[in-house]
Amino acid sequence: MSAAAARPLVTVQSLESDMATDANSVPLPDVMKAAIRPDIVTFVHGQISKNARQPYAVSKRAGHQTSAESWGTGRAVSRIPRVAGGGTHRAGQGAFGNMCRGGRMFAPTKIWRRWHRQVNVTQKRHAVVSAIAASAVPSLVLARGHKIEEVPELPLVVSDAAEAVEKTSAALKVLKQIGAHPDAEKAKDSQAIRAGKGKARNRRYVSRKGPLVVYGNEGAKLVKAFRNIPGVEIAHVSRLNLLKLAPGGHIGRFIIWTKSAFQQLDAIYGTFDKLSEKKNGYVLPRAKMVNADLARIINSDEVQSVVAPIKKEVKRAPLKKNPLKNLGVMLKLNPYAKAAKRMALLAEAQRVKAKQDKLDKKRKPITKEEASAINSASKSWYKTMISDSDYTEFENFTKWLGASQ
Amino acid sequence: MQHDEVIWQVIRHKHCSFMAKIETGIFCRNPYNVTGICNRSSCPLANSRYATIRDHDGVLYLYMKTIERAHMPNKLWERVKMPRNYAKALEIIDKHMMYWPKLLVHKTKQRLTKMTQMRIRMRKLALKTREKIMTVPTKQKKREARREEKAEKAALLEKSIEKELLERLKKGVYSDIYNYPVDKYNEILDKEEVGKATVSEDEEEEEPVIEYVEGYEELEEEDDMEDFGGLAIREDYDNDNLNDDDADNDDDDDNEEKSASVAYKRERKSSARKLAKEEQAAKSKKKIKVQVEVEHEDAVERQRAVY
Repeated sequence: MSAAAARPLVTVQSLESDMATDANSVPLPDVMKAAIRPDIVTFVHGQISKNARQPYAVSKRAGHQTSAESWGTGRAVSRIPRVAGGGTHRAGQGAFGNMCRGGRMFAPTKIWRRWHRQVNVTQKRHAVVSAIAASAVPSLVLARGHKIEEVPELPLVVSDAAEAVEKTSAALKVLKQIGAHPDAEKAKDSQAIRAGKGKARNRRYVSRKGPLVVYGNEGAKLVKAFRNIPGVEIAHVSRLNLLKLAPGGHIGRFIIWTKSAFQQLDAIYGTFDKLSEKKNGYVLPRAKMVNADLARIINSDEVQSVVAPIKKEVKRAPLKKNPLKNLGVMLKLNPYAKAAKRMALLAEAQRVKAKQDKLDKKRKPITKEEASAINSASKSWYKTMISDSDYTEFENFTKWLGASQ
Repeated sequence: MQHDEVIWQVIRHKHCSFMAKIETGIFCRNPYNVTGICNRSSCPLANSRYATIRDHDGVLYLYMKTIERAHMPNKLWERVKMPRNYAKALEIIDKHMMYWPKLLVHKTKQRLTKMTQMRIRMRKLALKTREKIMTVPTKQKKREARREEKAEKAALLEKSIEKELLERLKKGVYSDIYNYPVDKYNEILDKEEVGKATVSEDEEEEEPVIEYVEGYEELEEEDDMEDFGGLAIREDYDNDNLNDDDADNDDDDDNEEKSASVAYKRERKSSARKLAKEEQAAKSKKKIKVQVEVEHEDAVERQRAVY
């Protein structure tokens, strides 16, 4: 929602044991503004948590310490290898197979399984940086489940007087003063016996995670004071562990920084422009989008002013109609089609009519005059035919031939 | 940094401790959520400008958060007390959320409405008396039932009742009873005396129970009931330390009541016989033996009906 301010200041919470100076403030290190990438964190966390594993395997000889041989066919038993010998229950029992009782398991586990995972250093650093940035967002810390309703500010920075705390009772008082007690209390109340076999495998108790206290000076007394409080963990700022920053792969641990630790963050991780001093050649990763609030960008004036108006009516393709069947469409394509069709129709009508007339005429009984005319015509034609074919009267012939004999 | 979109992506697709997925939908357990549903627009974590109504001891408050205070969880929520009047409360919401997104204002008002209705309903219900469901610890109940049974068995109620009745009869509480089997009564009294003298186990068996021997049956058939009854009754009245009701000693009364009492006695006898048979069946032959063996020491004082 808000663009990252220039360098917002984080006020340092003062404890009772502090001198009565006004609460000073520290600028926010760039790490806290880095890109939050939960996917990288999940991946790296998954890989890294495999590195503390101890190998387990079954004995390599398990299930094979028999001299069993298959009895082969013909004995009305299955062909599984059977234990040789006699005189005991074990004789004749199946051996070697994963399906046999007392046999070796399927794919016996081996110690040379690849237990550990290598992760690129940049990726590991990216994950840590993301986790630190997420710890500065109150919503994410709340979503992870920490009780931070009474915390005065996030990220929570405490004056260096906290590093000098020696007694656990004093440490508890410090937590109460800065509003971190509900979280520690939540962790204490949640202690329960683990469900499952783990309780018999030296993992008897489970509890929630409380705050993580990060200190800056080596050998601070704070370590011994805070380490016995249930749920509270401590870390030195130069040795931040992703498994503590994002327990379970979930970003947003509640972190309590001491002032010196907070001020070292810039040096350890660098800024967006400056290289890190402690990590050789490392620069903070850049986000794909500096301003990730897409909705706000779209609705901003700059974008809205150049954007085309919304098309309310959507043009849809019309249904194709066949011109050969649909006259209107045909006319759109070929206007002459109308005239042609008209002419064709008329001609057709005429033809039909003529034929009909002809047939009618033929079917109609002819009148006497017509009949006599036809008769006489046929007679005269016959006569001419005869006379023409009469060779004796060749004068008629020469008429045609036009040749003189 | 504090980008709502980023936060929402992380919360929705990775992990949010307030999300509750049920088969009917996704819900949000965050107490500040206005609708209760896990939604991009209803998530109090993913919206830097948010408002909701919450109630505290029956008073409704409007809670608002803005992005300016996003980094101070302590002072994040600003609250305004809602007036009791529903219409005024709506106006207050309008006033405070004047330039806020319409959706949020609408949802807040809806929530206010629902909570007011709930408040009214709760108050109405509080006036009615409702039966409270008390849980019963089954262990206790079972244990008590078992113990009750055992106690009942141990109490020997019938015996103690009989004893008590006998005592009363002896005392003379029942002044006008003519038709109890005198012989049996005497028998039992004798047994009691014997029992007191020789504290034996038999005492328990003999004393309280009025037992009827088999011979009694023959008696009833053979003898004349009237004579038998009359004899018994007269003698009893002479001897017993019953009540001082002199009316009973009159012969006339005796005669009159004889017949009635005889009939009654018969019935009583039959019922008594049943009892006797049961008890005989239940108890051992030892009893009968014992009865025969008992000797009457104070035969003088008591006159026994001869049968």
